[in-house]
Amino acid sequence: MSEQRDLRLGRQVFRPEQLLVMAIVNRTPDSFYRPGLTWDPAAALDRVHAVVAEGADIVDVGGVPARPGDDVDAAEEIRRTVPFTAAVRDSYPDLVISVDTWRHEVGREACAAGADLLNDSWGGWDPRLAEVAAEFGAGIVCSHAGGLPPRTRPFRVAYDDVVRDVLAGTLSLAARAVAAGVEPARILIDPAHDFGKNTWHSLQVTRRLAEMAATGWPVLVSMSNKDFIGETLDVPVDERLAGTLAVTAVSAWLGARVFRAHQVRETRQVLNTVSVIRGDLPPARVVRGLA
Amino acid sequence: MITAAALCPSPPLLHPTLTGREAVVPELRAACARAVSWLLRDDPGEIAVVGPAVATGEWDAAGRLDPAAFAPGPDHPAAFAPGVGGPRTRSAPLPLSLGLGALLLDRAGYRGRRRLLAVGQDEPASTCAGLGARLGERPGRIALLVMGDGSARRSLKAPGYLDPRAAGFDAEVERAVRAGDLDSLLRLDQDLARELMATGRAPWQVLAGAMRELAPVAEVRYRGDPFGVAYLVACLQPRAGPAGTGAGPGRPGPGSVVE
Repeated sequence: MSEQRDLRLGRQVFRPEQLLVMAIVNRTPDSFYRPGLTWDPAAALDRVHAVVAEGADIVDVGGVPARPGDDVDAAEEIRRTVPFTAAVRDSYPDLVISVDTWRHEVGREACAAGADLLNDSWGGWDPRLAEVAAEFGAGIVCSHAGGLPPRTRPFRVAYDDVVRDVLAGTLSLAARAVAAGVEPARILIDPAHDFGKNTWHSLQVTRRLAEMAATGWPVLVSMSNKDFIGETLDVPVDERLAGTLAVTAVSAWLGARVFRAHQVRETRQVLNTVSVIRGDLPPARVVRGLA
Repeated sequence: MITAAALCPSPPLLHPTLTGREAVVPELRAACARAVSWLLRDDPGEIAVVGPAVATGEWDAAGRLDPAAFAPGPDHPAAFAPGVGGPRTRSAPLPLSLGLGALLLDRAGYRGRRRLLAVGQDEPASTCAGLGARLGERPGRIALLVMGDGSARRSLKAPGYLDPRAAGFDAEVERAVRAGDLDSLLRLDQDLARELMATGRAPWQVLAGAMRELAPVAEVRYRGDPFGVAYLVACLQPRAGPAGTGAGPGRPGPGSVVE
């Protein structure tokens, strides 16, 4: 079991006990949660202002939905994400900006525009992405997609032991990133709930998240409003907040450090509550019974 | 010989680590700190902290409050929780009022002799006055830090809910303290004080026993009830005692008086 260490993103250093909110800002017309909400660049920048005010530590800019759909090539993905990344960087010199991409061409342009972190949700599909992170001194998220190609859905996937597969996959990607020259303090691992997993797999990954934290790599979890929560509760996508927050709390308790989220304010409140229960953060204001 | 006395309330929220990230009634904490600094200003030979407790008795002068009793924390050492990493003492944790008095002395940098005297909340006025008189008869220069609160039943949201008698009780205490009329403190109704959850009655009567012959002059540094409990911070000194310069206990600093 390895100790958690400081996480470095951009110019910032985050201690192991800090729980970070990564706010989702989609530059897409067709993502699964509130499609098109921030398709308009002005709306997207407004969203950044809002999530920063609500306590986001990181914004995660994405130009391609995870689910299958209309083709978005690298040029279009760059057009969607890179000028916007530059605009966010102009407004917020110190905010940690992540770009959600699996393509090294996109990663290169994003880093040049000011991105600090490349969030590769597709399990290292493009091996050159880590080289780009190394070249720019950026960080990288090493996720487990079960070997699926980008933008595909799991079909009858099965694992002897999904957690073992997640560990093997993410640790080997982390080692590859280190070998490519990425600073180890800038590498995160992500089990990637729902990616290459059915609901049972995502639940098992959640249940055994402490095994990921025990590796010493900071764990990012991305489960906001996802299908495994919908199937757990039998609720549509706009009724998954309570389930999302429950998984957030459990994951935080089990050692996750970064939480990719749509609802930043609620996520921040849940994480602060967990931090206070743990004793990593004093409560905001305590008077009850003490007067 | 009693050279001076300071009155401070004893709510747990005086302890700075018990209230979380936000300072709670900072003006009360500041007033208590200033009152204790005033008490220490001309180097008393000994400080006697008097505070209410379940039973009368003297506590180990090395004792401290155990904040974990009010705010238990997780058991890993890096935790910020107040129950962890506090001062370690081999003594049993002090009763709240004495523990807060000890804390105020520590925070004022006092390292001299201290006595920690608990007075049982059910002790009658005569017993309290006798305890005070014996304190006053001791040789040397002794300053008193008297811990205790007024009614905890001053509003609907107060810890003890609203009791219409609370306002009158607390007003009489304040009047008596301001006037240096310590005999009136000795006449406070013990049963009413208990019903009003006023923990200060017994220690104030100890004060009265210790200083009634000295005709003290007093200055109130804070009065308020932000949570429905009457808090009073005051400084008293003999009208013409050895420490007496003829001046009053001094003007309060800015913002320390709520009047």
